[in-house]
Amino acid sequence: MKFLTTNFLKCPVKTCDTSNDNFPLQYNGEKCQLIQDESIEFNPEFLLNILDRIDWAAIIIVARDLGNKSLPPTKPSFSPELSDDDLIVLRDLHTLLLQTSIVDGEMKCKNCGHIYFIKNSIPNLLLPPHLA
Amino acid sequence: MLPTPYTKFDYDKVYEPSEDSFLLLDCLESELKFLDEKLKGKLSVVCEIGPGSGIVTTFMIQNSIPSLNSSIYLAVDINPWALESTIDTAARNNCKGRYLDTIQCNLTDSLKANEVDLLVFNPPYVPAEEVPQIPESKGEIDNWLDLALLGGKDGMVITNKVLENLDSILSSNGVAYILFCARNKPEVITAEMKKTGNWKIELVETRKAGWEVLSVYRFERQH
Ligand SMILES: C[S@@+](CC[C@H](N)C(=O)[O-])C[C@H]1O[C@@H](n2cnc3c(N)ncnc32)[C@H](O)[C@@H]1O
Repeated sequence: MKFLTTNFLKCPVKTCDTSNDNFPLQYNGEKCQLIQDESIEFNPEFLLNILDRIDWAAIIIVARDLGNKSLPPTKPSFSPELSDDDLIVLRDLHTLLLQTSIVDGEMKCKNCGHIYFIKNSIPNLLLPPHLA
Repeated sequence: MLPTPYTKFDYDKVYEPSEDSFLLLDCLESELKFLDEKLKGKLSVVCEIGPGSGIVTTFMIQNSIPSLNSSIYLAVDINPWALESTIDTAARNNCKGRYLDTIQCNLTDSLKANEVDLLVFNPPYVPAEEVPQIPESKGEIDNWLDLALLGGKDGMVITNKVLENLDSILSSNGVAYILFCARNKPEVITAEMKKTGNWKIELVETRKAGWEVLSVYRFERQH
């Protein structure tokens, strides 16, 4: 699962919906195995659209969970004419958000503590019958 | 006509593309212009519930639905085999360079609220005594397939859950395409929903498939 997908995943337990702790999930940096997958090509426009949309605070938290502490505290913004420096920033974000995948690992809900697993890049958020 | 994805998987484990799948593809094709106009210029989060073989999601990726270079695709299914098949089908059709993630989950329960811009669902719509239990292991192959078909009372138990939650699933500008069979009584259901004044609903495609009549409805917020 790609890094960016963590920005859309919450704990599926219904009662966690009323807490503010069900998103983002807490990724276990020691258990998460990351790979770089270069198949998606760099497209600045796509990245700007993504940036426009994402919850930056959650990106920072998950990056930190996974050992990356280098992100700026506020979401980067760009003028319409992209400079070379802008492109470098966008390229780094491309590497993080679209090319970094969690192949195996686990994450937990900060509210209920339930642990979910990722295997072969597929996160499993199916609840056992007693929680569903 | 847009190309149909090539699929090949073990159809003992996942739903084989059938008349309903193809109706959904035709529906999406006829909605190309509508979707492009509605969603262009921004990121679109596309979610297919129950991708099965992956034919519908792959079709959308292949044909840049809703629009080129601005969509990410999330496919959620309870059946683990369906998720493998979806990745496989996308890869077979040269979609490796596009943003696709598959998630094992019940409906959209694990998706953050109000994030989906385009929702597509060909549900288990066949009326049955009840919706089958979720198997305990990946190996109980027959049971996974039953879940692809059987929709409990009026075939609507699963679809109803999505309709009830539509307001919290879709983004403010979101749109959903959901497939029904005649026995689901879609005209009654959509009329009820329209009465609330919250939804704009249109019949996009309808077709006779053997002794079934299938239809796809489009749901948008009433602004
Ligand atoms: C009729 S098949 C459609 C498959 C494919 N989209 C197509 O059109 O060929 C229904 C799919 O929904 C999945 N499904 C059934 N119940 C579900 C649930 N509660 N949550 C997620 N997926 C579900 C099944 O596993 C199956 O893949």
